[in-house]
This record gives sequence, C-alpha cells and structure tokens, in this order.
Amino acid sequence: MEPNYLPEQYKKDKMIEINHNYLQKQFADYDIIFEKLKELVIKGDFTLGESVNEFEKNFAKIVGTKYAIGVGSGTDALFLSLKALGIGEGDEVITSPYGFYSTVGAIVTAGAKPVFVDVGEDYNINPNLIEGAITDKTKAIIPVHWAGLLCDMEKIIPIAEKNNIHIVEDACQAFKAYKDKRYSGNFGTLGCFSFHPLKIINIWGDGGMIVTNSQAMHDKLLLLRNHGLINRDECVLWGYNSRLDSLQAVVGDHLLKKVDSITKTRIRNADYFNQKLVEIPEVLTPIRYGDEDHVYHLYIIRAKDRDRLQEFLIKNGIDAKVHYSPPLHMQIAANKFGYKKGDFPVAEKISSSVLSLPVHEFITQEQQDYIVEKIKKFYNG
Amino acid sequence: MVKVRFVNLEAQLTLIKDVIISKITSFLESGYYIFGPELNNFEKSVAEYCESKFAIGVGNGTDALFLSLKALGIGNGDEVITVPNSFIATAGAISATGAKPVFIDVKDDFTMNPNLIEQAITEKTKAIIPVHLTGKICDMDPILEIAKKHNLFVIEDAAQSIGSKYKGKKSGSFGDFGCFSLHPLKNLNCFGDGGFITTNNEELYNKLLLLRNHGLINRDECVLWGYNSRLDSLQAAILSIKISDLDKTKERINYIVNKYKSGLKNHVEIPSHEDYDDIFYHTFIIKTDKRNELKKYLLEKGIETSIHYPIPIHLQEAARELRYRKGDFPIVEKQAETILSLPLYPELTNEQIDLIIKEISSFNFY
Repeated sequence: MEPNYLPEQYKKDKMIEINHNYLQKQFADYDIIFEKLKELVIKGDFTLGESVNEFEKNFAKIVGTKYAIGVGSGTDALFLSLKALGIGEGDEVITSPYGFYSTVGAIVTAGAKPVFVDVGEDYNINPNLIEGAITDKTKAIIPVHWAGLLCDMEKIIPIAEKNNIHIVEDACQAFKAYKDKRYSGNFGTLGCFSFHPLKIINIWGDGGMIVTNSQAMHDKLLLLRNHGLINRDECVLWGYNSRLDSLQAVVGDHLLKKVDSITKTRIRNADYFNQKLVEIPEVLTPIRYGDEDHVYHLYIIRAKDRDRLQEFLIKNGIDAKVHYSPPLHMQIAANKFGYKKGDFPVAEKISSSVLSLPVHEFITQEQQDYIVEKIKKFYNG
Repeated sequence: MVKVRFVNLEAQLTLIKDVIISKITSFLESGYYIFGPELNNFEKSVAEYCESKFAIGVGNGTDALFLSLKALGIGNGDEVITVPNSFIATAGAISATGAKPVFIDVKDDFTMNPNLIEQAITEKTKAIIPVHLTGKICDMDPILEIAKKHNLFVIEDAAQSIGSKYKGKKSGSFGDFGCFSLHPLKNLNCFGDGGFITTNNEELYNKLLLLRNHGLINRDECVLWGYNSRLDSLQAAILSIKISDLDKTKERINYIVNKYKSGLKNHVEIPSHEDYDDIFYHTFIIKTDKRNELKKYLLEKGIETSIHYPIPIHLQEAARELRYRKGDFPIVEKQAETILSLPLYPELTNEQIDLIIKEISSFNFY
C-alpha cells in the first residue's frame, strides 16, 4: 500500500493551471509570520502556549461565543464535543449521509451510532426528516454546513429543543457563514471548525477549534484535550492529547485578520460563476438563501454527465474535484449500519452529479471566464 | 536567579535556526501541508534509525499508543498490562480504546518488573505495554517470552527512549509496535505535537495508514471509520534536520550522564544499568530520601529540577474507577517520594554540569 496516497495527487495537481490548492500564494508573506514565530520559538512555547490563548480569544470574538478551545483537528473537534456531552456506547447521533468521512468517524470513535437523514437540494440535512429519525437513544444532531452554507437552523433548533437533544454544528467548512444575526458555530451547544490547509481559515498543518457559550463545556474540553490534567501532576479524568500547536495558532491568528476579505472574495467569485453558469442548462448552480449564509469553502455545481465533464476540465488545466462520491452510507466502512442503495435518494442523486470548481480568493475573473467557456464547450461541442 | 533551567529549548534552536528557517521557507513554497514528500522522507529515515521496517508519523505520542491498540483490535472488555509510574498518557490511551489498564509494579530502575506480569494476566488480557521510562529499555527478553507464552501483543511505550539499545537492539523494534513521541521536550523533538509508530509487520502498517487518515484507501473510498492523526509535514521537515544530529546529541547526553554519575554516586542513588544496556537518557533521575529538601535547596542555588512523576497513575482521581489504593505498588509509591530529575539536554554547559554536581555534593543529606 502507498504510505500516503496524496503525493501522487500532488504530482497531478502540479500540472494543472487553475488549482484548488492556493497555499503558495496565500503564504507569500510568511516573513511577517516568521517574526511572530521567533518570539514563540525563543520561549520554547510550543504546546498550549500564549499564542493559542490569543487565537482562541480572537476566534471566539468573531463567532460571538463566550469560549473557543483549540484542538488537534476538525475531526477531533467533533469527537471531543461528543465526549464533552457524555455521548458514547448505546447512543445515537443524527447527521447527513452526504459529507466528509470524519463526521461519521467522530461519532463512531465516541462509541455512538450514526443515524443518517437525507439532505435537501441545497446539499444540507433536510430538517423535515429529522424528527422521523429521533429515537429515545438520540443524544445529538450534527448538522453539517456543507460547502460553507448554513443549515436551516431556524427549523433544526426547535426540533432539538423539543426533543431535548444537543446540536453540535459541523462548521468545518463554514467559518463566518452568517444568518439571523448569528455566525456558524453559535447556533448549537458546540460548534466545530477545521483549519486544514484548504479551509476558509487555514494553517500549515492540522488544527481545529470548538466554540461554545457553556462554561461547563469549556472547562470539560480543556481537560479532555490535555490528558485530563488540572495541573502538571493531577489527572482527574482519562483524556486525550488533542492540542492546537502554538505555532499553528500564530498562523491562524495571522489569517483571522484577513477573514472578511477572504469570504467576501469567495462570495464574489461564486456570484460571478452563478451569473455566468445560469446560461448553461446542463448545470445547476449551488443554492443560497441570504447574502452571507454561504461562504463557499467549496463551489459545488451539479452537472449532467459529470464524470466526463470533470475529465474534460482537467484535460484543460482546470482542477475540478468531486466532494464526495459515493455518499457515506454506501462506503464499505458503513456496511455494519445496514443501509443500502436507495435509502437516501437525494444524497445519492447529488453525489453522482456534484463537481467543485476552484473558487478561492486567488482565482481571477479571466480564469473564471475560461472555466465557464470550457464547460460550455463541453456541452455544445 | 536561575542559573540552570530545567528546559532550555532556546539554546537548542539558536544552533540550527538558519537551517530550519530555510527549510520551513521551502516547505511553505511547496504548498503541500498534509502528507507529501517531507513526511515520507522523515518516516523513511526514522525507520532506519530505529532499525524497524516501517515508521508511521502520527499526531502525537498518545495517539501512537491509541492507534496501536486500535490496530490490534483492542477495546471494550479487554485488559492491557502496564506500569503506574509512566506519564498519564499511557493509561489514558488504553482507557480511550475502551480497554482497562491493569498495573504492575516496577523494579529499582523504574522499568516494568517482568516477574509480576504473569499474576496480572487474566483471560481478558490482550497486550502488555512496557514503558521504557527515562530512556532505559525494559527487560525485554522475559517480557517477550511471557507475551509469547500467553499469546499477548507487546506495544513498547518508547516515548522517552529513542535511540536506546538493549542487547544490541533499538527500542521500538522488540514488540508488535513501538510508540514514540516527538514532543518538544524529547530527544528527537519538533515544534509542536508529533509522534510516530514503528513496526516490522506490513499488515499492521497498512492498518495504521488507514486508521490515521479517516480509513481512506484513496480520496473517495472509506473502508473503516478511522481517525485524523497525522504528523504535520512541516514538523516532518524540521525533524529531518534534527534527526541527522541525533547521534551527536546522544554522545553529548552520554557525556553529561557519565559526569553526573561519577560526581553524584557518593551522595545520592544514581540510575542503574546492566552491561547490555546502551541508554539514550531522556531524563536523569536520582533518588534521595531528602528529595523535597534537595529540590528546594537547588532552586535556591538557581538550579531547576523536576519530578517525573510525583503522583503515580493508580492514585490519580481519574483512576478511581480502577479501584486501586495506596500500598498496591510499593516500589512506585516509594519512588514517587524520592525521585528527582536533573536538567539534561545537550546544550547544558560543562560549567553548569559542574555547578549542579557541586551543589548536590555540598547539600547536607543528614
């Protein structure tokens, strides 16, 4: 087995002109970051250092929550959140079958059972189907703000309240998505974010954040992420090691200051695509409901003859990707849950036709025009 | 005024700063921050250094233990035998899998007492985790023999023992897995959290590759529910520089240890070793009944020391559910009251070493 399948992918990426990966451009100003890193390195403040506190404070301020807790990754953010809520063996957690593997992985790691509810045409969990999936074992709902679009929280919150279950938002792709005077992460008991290199706020490796307004959750999470230690020598519960590196917090905090321009540019690029692609009947553009409720971590269209279109675009130097197919309930890992093809028709339909176009802040309008032109060419010959 | 810090990462960094900065710069320009060539290269060179077929970079030393246990299918209802004088993470990792840590006492040299293993084995026992505390490798011959006899897995907690040898073999190459930490305070360290696992078993290696990365066999296919526990490529890039200095580091550490041993042996109990040991010390731990007084005295003289660890794991609040009590592990408990760790890092100057020896020698032990 290849130790890391990604390097092969990287080699392929290198040949592509319009890429999903924009990191070289994003961190062209690393000198500024180096200056800040020097101080950290001199102090030897590498784990749970001052820069983590600073980043957490600034992050919480933007999201509007009382607390933010830096952790090892977005996956860990979800896992630790479930653990902080005491969810484990015998419990059920509702989420959507169209998403990234880690949402389900975190539920399974906690010892609980994922229960899928189909998505809507906007790729997010369909709130009208949630109540039908609730049993007396249900302890939480994880709405995934897919691609950067907020789920219909107005409908989901009352369902959770009525049934006395927690909401853990998977906001890994949706930092700064905004609706009803609230930012993503601030709707549920806990909100989970990822700083993986291709997220809205990204760092030089793995990292994540959990936000909450509950002091009890905050205190529990501080223990869970650091071996259950209340000080160097005393351990009050069996915890984990899942810390955001101090070094990565410096990088994250640096980008945090640029977040408004990042999301604005992504929204502008998406608007431009929407406007141009509407002319192509074979393509469906992604739905959004307000001006700021979608931050376009991904710009996902649905396309007729998707696989061939993807191939065609890649041949033309455009890094078109599929996020993701097949859906989660049809993965080999999900065999044990007993789902089958046909159980979630919308997720299955979406998975077979989705295609992500590069939408990041370094894409130029000329590049967007080129992409649209190639899509037209594909369908019109 | 502090004359000798217990930890001094600044000194270490000054020596290699420029090399590291240029390395990070080229890493950033590559644009590939997860996996990639830097990680592959480091895994290859650290496997070679540890004399194991495979090395797999993971998020940290705790995850190394956790993922190893998971790869062996250990979980709910199982028992894992280990020692109560390790860092809390050893028991934490066992607990995180759902299994139950079962403790046994240690020998004078801080490592697992093999004579106590068999009486701790039940039909639920699945693995033994010997902890190579301070860098000294446990007495592996009897441990491996018992494991074989009872069909148990052996996972070495090698978080503190990179580069140490027992009867000519490197730590991490004895068991099914060797678990290493790359935490900033380790002999091979990075600029944050990191760890790796060594193994000679290709099947287990493949399992670990899946477990550390969401169970993905490729970008689109998930064959098991895994975790996200990856060694950052940035850290791998930094480590690839540091690993080339590791032999030099070991030489310097050995020099300091020998100075300590000859200078202190008439005043305190110094760490013991066997003829077949070749130890790359992570900590230098002395024992004295006047530990607290000595610690205070040294601090007054500007010398920082530390205790690894003052409260044994079985007496921690987290362990209450395991129903151990004071008196269960007399050697570990006695050691917790008498041990003291002296500063030990390659940048310690000869003057500082002499000062530490002089101050301990002049302390009134009576």
